[in-house]
Amino acid sequence: MSDKSLFQTPLSRRQLLKGMAAVGVAAVASNALAACAPAGAPAPAGAPGPAGTSPLAGTVGDEMRGKTLELSLAVIAGWPPSQLPVEMFPKFAEMAKEKYGYTVTVRKTEAPFAALFQKVAPTLASRSQEFNLIVSDSQWLGALAEPGWIVKADDVYALNPELDIEPFSSLVVETYQVYPDGSGQRWGFPQMPDTQGLFVRKDLLEDPAEQAAFEARYGRKLPTTYEELEPLTVQEWEPIFEFFTRPEQDFYGTAAQYSKEYDFFSCAYHPYVYATGGDIWDKTTGNVVGVLNTDANAAQLEYFVSLQKYQPPGSPDFGIGEMIDLFTQGKVFSAFNWLAVGLFMIPPELEGKVLAVPHPKFIFPDGERKVIGAMGGQPWVINAFNDDDHMRVCIDFLKWWYQDDTQEEFVQKGGLPWSKKGVNAPGFEDLKPYTRAFKYMLEEGRSRDFWHLPEYAELLAIQQEAYSAYASGQVTDPKRVLDYIAGRQQALLFEKGRTQTPPPDELRNLTLM
Amino acid sequence: MSTINIAQQGEQAIARSRRSPLRAFEESRFFPLALLLPILFFFVALNVIPTIWMIGMSFYSYSLMSPAPPSFIAIDNYVKIYNDADLWSAFSRTFVFVVLAVGIETVLGVLLGFLFWGSSNMPGRRLALTLLFVPMVVTPVASGLFWRLIYEPTFGVANYFVQLLTGSKIDFLTNVNWAFGAVLFVDIWMWTPFMILMTLAALGSVPKAELEAAEVDRLSIWQRLWHVIWPHGKFILMLGVLLRTIDAYKTTDLVFLMTNGGPGNVTELIGLKLYRYAFASLNIGFSSALAVILLLIAISFTSIYLWVLNLRRYREGA
Amino acid sequence: MQPTRARTAVYYLILWLVAILFFLPVFWILMASFKTPNDILAVPPKFIFQPTLSNIIDMLSRPNTVPYFINSLYLSITSVSLAIVVSFLAAYALSRYKFRATNFLMFLILSTRMVPAAAFVVPIFQMFNAFQWRNQFGVLMLYTMFSIPFSLWILKGFIDGVSTRYDETGFVNGASRLHVMFRVVLPQVRPGLIAAFIFNLIFVWNEFLLNFILGGPGTQMIPYALAVGLVSAGGNIDWAFVASLSTGYVLLPTVMIFLFQKYLLVGMTFGTVRGEV
Repeated sequence: MSDKSLFQTPLSRRQLLKGMAAVGVAAVASNALAACAPAGAPAPAGAPGPAGTSPLAGTVGDEMRGKTLELSLAVIAGWPPSQLPVEMFPKFAEMAKEKYGYTVTVRKTEAPFAALFQKVAPTLASRSQEFNLIVSDSQWLGALAEPGWIVKADDVYALNPELDIEPFSSLVVETYQVYPDGSGQRWGFPQMPDTQGLFVRKDLLEDPAEQAAFEARYGRKLPTTYEELEPLTVQEWEPIFEFFTRPEQDFYGTAAQYSKEYDFFSCAYHPYVYATGGDIWDKTTGNVVGVLNTDANAAQLEYFVSLQKYQPPGSPDFGIGEMIDLFTQGKVFSAFNWLAVGLFMIPPELEGKVLAVPHPKFIFPDGERKVIGAMGGQPWVINAFNDDDHMRVCIDFLKWWYQDDTQEEFVQKGGLPWSKKGVNAPGFEDLKPYTRAFKYMLEEGRSRDFWHLPEYAELLAIQQEAYSAYASGQVTDPKRVLDYIAGRQQALLFEKGRTQTPPPDELRNLTLM
Repeated sequence: MSTINIAQQGEQAIARSRRSPLRAFEESRFFPLALLLPILFFFVALNVIPTIWMIGMSFYSYSLMSPAPPSFIAIDNYVKIYNDADLWSAFSRTFVFVVLAVGIETVLGVLLGFLFWGSSNMPGRRLALTLLFVPMVVTPVASGLFWRLIYEPTFGVANYFVQLLTGSKIDFLTNVNWAFGAVLFVDIWMWTPFMILMTLAALGSVPKAELEAAEVDRLSIWQRLWHVIWPHGKFILMLGVLLRTIDAYKTTDLVFLMTNGGPGNVTELIGLKLYRYAFASLNIGFSSALAVILLLIAISFTSIYLWVLNLRRYREGA
Repeated sequence: MQPTRARTAVYYLILWLVAILFFLPVFWILMASFKTPNDILAVPPKFIFQPTLSNIIDMLSRPNTVPYFINSLYLSITSVSLAIVVSFLAAYALSRYKFRATNFLMFLILSTRMVPAAAFVVPIFQMFNAFQWRNQFGVLMLYTMFSIPFSLWILKGFIDGVSTRYDETGFVNGASRLHVMFRVVLPQVRPGLIAAFIFNLIFVWNEFLLNFILGGPGTQMIPYALAVGLVSAGGNIDWAFVASLSTGYVLLPTVMIFLFQKYLLVGMTFGTVRGEV
């Protein structure tokens, strides 16, 4: 960007004067704040372009011919599916040159999950087009949509019906597109769907010596195939985890995510909450108290954390990366992780030795054996403050991204599909060791996402801190942890007008001590 | 530069510029103000105005994430801070952190400082001191990260030695009983060298003659410490303690990457807490109120520091 | 009692051991930057290993490393230089003309440097957004301000130490005020200039939070790269990258304190304590 030095350019001086003037105005009275604040006005995009078409239609004629520009993508660091669009970008650039006649280069900015939001949100708040196209986490939708920072996907679909592709299940729409929940208004474009699974070492399950030893100890056969493993509940998995836990060999039965980082603990724990027939909050009333802090959920929390006994030391800090490290370094028999990093869970040494199965099941209160896993994955969102040219390029890019051949290449390189066509493609289930489990978990009702509210970051911070306190033993009473979270989240939601019920007094000032 | 030389140059300068407007300006009473102008520009533009802005904001309910315009809520943000048990615990945790870190660093620093007192003829002294002082100039982000690797329970080198000695491993950064201590240890590693430096400076400020006189009078070690070294050295040592206090109170980068405040909230220091309110939730009003409080604390620390500094000037005539 | 040679040798040995003990953690990372990723995570830890340059080559070949290094150098050197010029002018004025508000101003300016960065990054961030200063110019200005308090304190202390008789001699001989400032006083406060330069350079060099929040293309420095680039493509921490980048980055401060050791005390106490160690 500007590498102009301080003294030489009239630009700096102009900026300086502009700055000084603004300082003056701002300092007059704090009342002026209202004027300076981003008003959340409708996006400038959508205005007719030079050729008389809306830039949201993408490039339609020759309006972009001969132009050169840079598309700035914000993607999640350390998250392979997020890197692929950048890696595959040259093909888009080539096509754009040929078809529309403009030259486009890409600039990538990346940061780990939480940090990326902290990086992107402030720029949008300042109405900057520093990032044109953003890989957003699904839960950020409300935070980005409510202030009007991103383009409404429905507006794009209206002009480009070919982008409105039929999804595999309603989970895709609910997780990556719609805000507010249930409103049907779509803001995001699915980039990479994701669900949770359990990666296991097939070679160990198939080892005759292990099988004999297991049968001798537990009096039943060690399950080995996908079909045998898929219906198992967590409780039925436990003996297998126990069997492979051999601290003297520095080898453990499993590994799950208990880290305070971002949403790691929450996503790992939520399936246990859903298994009680409950939820973490009530979408319709906005209440947390009475929904989250139940005895059933407390028992599940205690159970989930008790699984640490089959895991290597340091489990309160385990996140996505630790799963990969431990599993690929051969320190654990199994690991709970996102299927989207499947390719990274299977290094060349473990080729053919790994199987991924859906998240283990639970016996629900109605007696049914099933699972509701956590949804992961990310949508694309388009910066509403893009100028017309960048807006067109964003749309062109998405059009290219959703082409069949692009999607195929994406899946080949470790990405996952979300459209009915993509997931149902012949041979998809056997394409990679984790695709079958992925398809299973993406079926209707088998996974669930949580809040998409603008208060997401605050809500999440409250519960991650509390869960981490429990996982590490700082607090020993699981019910107290849930009470603490419920009280704080309810207070926050009440303050923001998301619920009409204030938190009860006895939950107002709980601490984690 | 010799005086003659200055005189010659001076005469040339006079010849050149006797009636120049520049010269007139230099002698006018606006000149000193002109010298101050640049610094005042920076100070006003990047400190005074943001601070006023911040104080103003602290009376508003204002979140960047909400489409609602800021609304005036008087001191509600401050009331909320006052009633927030979590913030109180972050404050008290920071207080404990500062007291322990500065206390241990001072004791260790003074002991090691005495140890290094007689080292002026040591071979390779400069290199040895560089190695000793490196921890305090290492980028905190980098030290936070590489201590994380050292502490790592499965692959970390610290646990390798712990296991050799005790037969079991310690989850330094994830065990509630260890995490705070582990962060504290890194701070002590980083900043004990600073207290060594200050101790050496304090010892250096004791006049040689008085030390020699004490030698001649055959004063005991304790007498020398109390009657000769302490009266001179105490100011510099106090300045060191105060500077460390201010710095320890600011600790953010280190925990940001090493523990992210966890596990639970056992390493959540106030600087990190503020960062979260400001940039994870973009809650500008509330975080401004918290920032104002931190600013007031910083100003009071600074005043104490300057008070001690003036005390020293006064006593020592320095 | 004259210490014997042997006792002196033991004494020096102990001192060296203490120094090495403090350096060990840094040394461990230094070693890690020459290990293969598998050797870094090896259990038990490898103390003897086949060194490799591949981490460093990988680190340097990442698209952001070199530009970020250049940003680090450019921003720290430029802003600190600017801060020193500004501070020298002010320090001279505050030292030679007796303003009534001198002490108060010095106090105010210093206290701004004592606040946790997170406290003032909020208003700065908003202000920079409002005026669109989130570019190289803005960050440069910010770091200049960041460096001013300590520079001012160091230089004011040094100029106070230069007797006004030098100024007077100059005036008697007809020298101009500017001549006295730059030709007479400036050369005598060289140690102060060096101390202010070196230590503010290190502080800006190591700064993270402001850079993380305000940085954009052209202003992001290496600590930012460390914080966001630490995870590898697979989501696990890329220790080889962290180690080699940290090693490369702490080289400058380390060399600085070796070369300019006698200014260490002045620098770390921003001029309020004078002397050498």
